[in-house]
Amino acid sequence: MFIFPQICGDIHGQFHDLMELFRVGGNPPDTNYLFMGDFVDRGFYSLESFLLLLCLKVRYPDRMTLIRGNHESRQITTVYGFYDECLRKYGSANVWRYCCDVFDYLALGAIVLGASNTLEPTNEAAPREDVEIEVCNADGDAISHFGRRGKTGGNGQGSPNGRTDQTGPPGSGASGSSGGTAGNPVGAVLCVHGGLSPLIDTVDKIRLLDRKQEVPHEGAMCDLLWSDPDEIDGWGLSPRGAGFLFGADIVKMFNHRNDLSLIARAHQLVMEGFKEMFDASIVTVWSAPNYCYRCGNVAAVLELSEDPGGQGFFARSNGDVGRSDGGVSRGVLLDSDGSSKRGPARRYRVFQAAPQDSRGMPAKKPVADYFL
Amino acid sequence: MEAPPQPSTQQQSECPFPTLETLDPSAPHVFIRPVKQINDGPDVARFLTSKAYRDIGIFVLQLSRAMCPRKSKGEDGKDKIHTFLIGSEYETQPAESVRGLQQMLAKIEAFIDEAPPHQGPRRFGNTSFRTWYQLLQAQVTALLQEHLPESVLRHSSGGSGQGSTAQVELETYLLGAFGSAQRLDYGTGHELSFLAFLGCLWKLGAFKDGNPNGDIERYIVLGAFEPYLRVVRRLIITYTLEPAGTHGVWGLDDHSFQSYIYGSAQLTRAISETEAMPLEGSLFRAPKPSSIVKAEYVEEERKRYMYFSAVGFINDVKKGPFWEHSPILFDISGIKDGWGKINKGMIKMFNAEVLSKFPVVQHFYFGSLFSWDQDPDAATPPQSAHIASQQSTLSSMPPPPSGAARPWAQATNPTSRPQKLQREPHPVNEAFRATQAPWAKSSDRPSG
Repeated sequence: MFIFPQICGDIHGQFHDLMELFRVGGNPPDTNYLFMGDFVDRGFYSLESFLLLLCLKVRYPDRMTLIRGNHESRQITTVYGFYDECLRKYGSANVWRYCCDVFDYLALGAIVLGASNTLEPTNEAAPREDVEIEVCNADGDAISHFGRRGKTGGNGQGSPNGRTDQTGPPGSGASGSSGGTAGNPVGAVLCVHGGLSPLIDTVDKIRLLDRKQEVPHEGAMCDLLWSDPDEIDGWGLSPRGAGFLFGADIVKMFNHRNDLSLIARAHQLVMEGFKEMFDASIVTVWSAPNYCYRCGNVAAVLELSEDPGGQGFFARSNGDVGRSDGGVSRGVLLDSDGSSKRGPARRYRVFQAAPQDSRGMPAKKPVADYFL
Repeated sequence: MEAPPQPSTQQQSECPFPTLETLDPSAPHVFIRPVKQINDGPDVARFLTSKAYRDIGIFVLQLSRAMCPRKSKGEDGKDKIHTFLIGSEYETQPAESVRGLQQMLAKIEAFIDEAPPHQGPRRFGNTSFRTWYQLLQAQVTALLQEHLPESVLRHSSGGSGQGSTAQVELETYLLGAFGSAQRLDYGTGHELSFLAFLGCLWKLGAFKDGNPNGDIERYIVLGAFEPYLRVVRRLIITYTLEPAGTHGVWGLDDHSFQSYIYGSAQLTRAISETEAMPLEGSLFRAPKPSSIVKAEYVEEERKRYMYFSAVGFINDVKKGPFWEHSPILFDISGIKDGWGKINKGMIKMFNAEVLSKFPVVQHFYFGSLFSWDQDPDAATPPQSAHIASQQSTLSSMPPPPSGAARPWAQATNPTSRPQKLQREPHPVNEAFRATQAPWAKSSDRPSG
């Protein structure tokens, strides 16, 4: 049984693909899961997907973590499909309304503590000390490894994106600058749907937010659910009209200040299922394969391993307990001494859309009123 | 072709089916460089009483009715049925004006070869589309001058019109018809812009070289609009332009709407020249609506029928069960009252889900030909909740039923049934993947 959760990105109502995700990652409750929001909208089975996850949360509250995405909102779901879906399936908006009430209670973020530097073995391989990143296919077989930067060996496999190892791990192909971890040793991993906010400089400030409300149009809560990392310096305006763009400097500063080794987020389609950016200080995880039936992307879940010492709480964030020296002696921000930094080892399980042949054709439903 | 049509005033007085007015070529007209006017939710209500809205409605209905099969008495006294198909002489031997548009579209399509898609890694939309768009921008003036008659582009311009010309208005709508270079997406708003481009040409008298009894409209739809859709589909595939249908599977189609209007008209019960557009019934031996779920059938019929052409394109780009990725079209395919019923529904849906939607029409430009001025005959639209809520309150629940039918919706809805159960329509023209905040004003966003 994995104690550590499989960290998952957007689902968007792709129920059959969610089933495939559970097959690939391990069935709940034997495997723990952390979903980073956007369960609903766009796909055909938003309601089924969200309710299944919610049932699992109710039945196994300590093995299932659901955090809120920007689509878990009244206003967004009226525009992007979930509202229409409930109306089509139930003929009334009540189910939608109740779901939205639940959305208001979802957490805005989650912290995973005590991740190990090394991966637990997959079904085929012995643990390899020098492996920082492992990519597995849907059957759990490792298809590539990436070693620690600054160490010898283990780096010759090339990326599944077809790029050389000079450009860093897989998923960074688009524009990532990932070249290995520059985070704190065994720091915490912050999971959030979108990204950072200029109003949030410490993790504790997330805890102070009154989250039980509709996602506002602006402000810290909005930013956490809407922002995107980008190849810029500092903060930028988001083309989405909500949240911000934030650059590598922002991420590294935030991780340093909060003793984080990694931010895991979702919110953006990645063709390879995951994409590490900014020296692997932030990763985008995307869990909706062949998004919208047409994008042709694969999906991924991120698996961390528990620190064998079982002392994960050592890395308590926010500077209140067991605070590290903040990297002062190690020059984290200057990114100078690669050999002393060890972020959590990461295994990405990559999978494709569920086969379709088993799905029967349903009866046609009454058409929209335009056609009556 | 036959003699030019009678002046539009005469057409309108004699014909129960309104057609878009043409400008009097001898009277000076004040052209205006088109600008966006819809900046906020309430502006949509104002749009729905504008002359532009009226003209769009007239033109869509005019084109739709022209596509409906016709019947006439043959010499043997039997009814002869005429259908109007893709690839027929309406496309292959068009009026001169439409031939010019075809040649222009072919050149626009050829820009694709000059802007091959990047092969490298990317998120989704291919940034080479921006190169393509720059080519179009650079060439648009020359294209219009080459393929449109001087009399259209240099339509007599009256004094103080900010020095604008017909050509400026035409360029605006043509440039807006091929997707957003910034967002790398394409949606029904861009399709609407092409309709406006054609409407401007109509008003400028460019289509007087065709028979006004529906023939010239058929040239426009089959000879220009369908070829336009082919160019757009190639752009979408080449540059993986993002679908602009926001509501995922719960929208009609990711990119297009009008193809379903004219396409369903093509298959509706045949009418005589004096009959109104039927509200139900299908062309004798027409493909059944239910056949759209059979991919191999669609492959065959897409060569002739615009509806099947549109569904065929969905099959080209989507993988998965049809009923799952296109449930609205799937449910519509169960309609038993024929293509006429579907046509009527599509027009109502177009009115509600395209023209009444802030995210779509916020990008529409208003000049002199499609004017922001109030239509003096427009009924005051009720302050429809769905319009108000598009922008305003965050706490707004899904809006209650939309208001009374618009003037031109009534043209297809003579019973004027209260639309009390009407589904809440949704915005159509949002970037589909990168979710955008619906409350963001157009000025905050990249626009197309």
